[in-house]
Amino acid sequence: MEPLAKNYVGREYSMKKIGLIVNPIAGMGGSVGLKGTDGEIYKKALRLGAKAVTPKRTKELLSYIKSRKEISLVVAPGKMGETYVRKFDIAFKLIGQTPKETSAEDTKRIIGKMLNGGIELLVFVGGDGTARDVYDAVDSKIPVVAVPSGVKIFSSVFAVSARAAAEMVDAFIEGTDLTEEEVLDIDENAFRNNRLASKLYGYLIVPNVKKLLQAGKEASSIDKSSVDSKNEIARYIVKHMDKETLYLLGPGTTLKAIANDMGLPKTLLGVDAIYDNRLVGIDLNEKGILKLLKKYKSKKIMVTPIGGNGFIFGRGSKQFTPEVIRIIGRENIILVGTYGKISKLECLRVDTGNFEIDKLLSGYIRVVVGEKEEMVMEVRC
Amino acid sequence: MLNEIKLNMNEMPYPPPKEIIEAAQKGLSNLNRYTNPKELELLREFLADYSDVSKRHIILSTGSDFLLREIIHVFSKGRRVIMVNPSFFPTVQCAKEFATKLIKIQLRPSEFNLDADIITNETNEPSLVIVDNPNNPTGKILIDREMAEAILENKDVLLVVDEAYYEFSGATFADMVEKHPNLSVVRTLDKAFGLAGARIGYLIAGENFLDAFSTFFTFLPQSSLYAAIEAMRDPSYIKKNIELTIKERERVSKELEKIGFQVYPSTTNFLLIKTNIPDIARELKDREILVFDISNQWLPGYIRVSIGTPKENNIFLSNIKEIHKVHAWRGHKP
Repeated sequence: MEPLAKNYVGREYSMKKIGLIVNPIAGMGGSVGLKGTDGEIYKKALRLGAKAVTPKRTKELLSYIKSRKEISLVVAPGKMGETYVRKFDIAFKLIGQTPKETSAEDTKRIIGKMLNGGIELLVFVGGDGTARDVYDAVDSKIPVVAVPSGVKIFSSVFAVSARAAAEMVDAFIEGTDLTEEEVLDIDENAFRNNRLASKLYGYLIVPNVKKLLQAGKEASSIDKSSVDSKNEIARYIVKHMDKETLYLLGPGTTLKAIANDMGLPKTLLGVDAIYDNRLVGIDLNEKGILKLLKKYKSKKIMVTPIGGNGFIFGRGSKQFTPEVIRIIGRENIILVGTYGKISKLECLRVDTGNFEIDKLLSGYIRVVVGEKEEMVMEVRC
Repeated sequence: MLNEIKLNMNEMPYPPPKEIIEAAQKGLSNLNRYTNPKELELLREFLADYSDVSKRHIILSTGSDFLLREIIHVFSKGRRVIMVNPSFFPTVQCAKEFATKLIKIQLRPSEFNLDADIITNETNEPSLVIVDNPNNPTGKILIDREMAEAILENKDVLLVVDEAYYEFSGATFADMVEKHPNLSVVRTLDKAFGLAGARIGYLIAGENFLDAFSTFFTFLPQSSLYAAIEAMRDPSYIKKNIELTIKERERVSKELEKIGFQVYPSTTNFLLIKTNIPDIARELKDREILVFDISNQWLPGYIRVSIGTPKENNIFLSNIKEIHKVHAWRGHKP
């Protein structure tokens, strides 16, 4: 039997059950210039005198949640949640065990228990690494709210601040709709060497409050939601698709919206192929793509840049190899993305591993961001 | 009245001279009447003289944003609208709504340059190019005369330059309007003249625009018209305010740089600031200081701060220093 906190008694009925998990070491590398705490680096951070960042962020989060009386938290003991929750008048229940030195496996294990316990929303405090762990454990089972607690946060799944995260929790309680946001896989070793090497890791479901999200902010409250924007792009693209042409659709939710608009399934992280409203390839690798390119005369690629860093080739869609891009040609690449995502990018990037192809892709290119709206972006390599 | 310090709308923090306020009050005594066309003509004459163009090119309106909306309504039909991103937000929203096709060219830090070749490439079809020069929010002059001449060479292109901050930048294309029928310049008395509450905008319209505006007649509000006429009768009062604003702009910029913020050179009455402190606009708002958070429409981490009075600027600086201290231990650089 899990211990039941004193202030939990009698308040469970009709409350939303929300999991809260804190990565106590996230963000510690920042103050001592280590850019992250993946692997063993956090021990070095400790030696250098780094202080924990997450307590302050977690307290901020809890102090700004307005719907405290309507939620009951499920938290891990000690520094992974309980320590901070005890200071607030919020009903909570403990679950799992927190070891002295926490790891990614602890995060995943405890989240698993929370899911079994029936949480409806998971709030986590951490960085990009924590988001990956949460994705591994949660996938798309329930929505999450991500509280940024790091120096550099690249995944668009994160709220802009702890306070914004609290507002997202309130919005969830009020019944806001949901959307999918990116989780990126950041190579911390590369980042320490001032190189941004990241790829799309997956998608988490979040309350659809765009202005509160890190890289998914829309132009204003009167702008369309991310979901509506993707659907608008999809309708426009489908309307203008050529007949007798092979379309290779890269990963991402915007491309999925395009396939869905045609009534076709689409793998979220894979490359799928469509020809005359028919699915002719699913989750293709380079070999599969090259085979299709031989078969069809007219062919185009549709891709969406990765949020935050703007990579269109070389990260997240490795299936589009230099050979594939060479055969397709620059003029047959269609770029799509919501204005909320594209306007946040300084430029688009390519890193195919082939300098010649990267050069070919460089320069200015248009991205479809709406039914009658395009953005001119610079592609850099 | 609110005690908020408003550094979010690029207003002139100093009120206009008492003669102008008295003129506005005089206008209020005629509230039961529409404005006198003769007085509207007088304002046009003053503005033509100030802009060094003939009166026939001057179109009056309640606010320059209204003129830009009208231009988009009338001239976007059969043309693509080309703008930069970011740009003056109400104009962008209007173009999003009414343009048949909107092409936005993304400006990127740290130079925010607008490549002449992109404009040339994008204007291979009939186009309406709208550029705020200097750009809001970067504060940078985006196009020079050579570039404007190159754009205007293409007769299928209409170029509209928003010179809301002309009095601060000193850069204008007004003198090119008589030579280039496909050029118009939009200006306002909201900023340097300190008449934001009066909402007087004017268009210096090239020949190709004039026909569309021939039936465009605006009865300005009485008090606004009287204030504007008085202001234009002797516009020399703006010089001192502009000098003080520019001096303050440079002081605020240096102070922010000392803390470690990245501040971009400006030719306007505002500064573009890059910060790694998340949600800084909201933290300032909590302290009753309003700044403009650009991350809602552009790259994350940028705020635009208007230059206020020295006292307002000092309050802003001391608060941003405090916020910086709070965030410093978390590892957030300014």
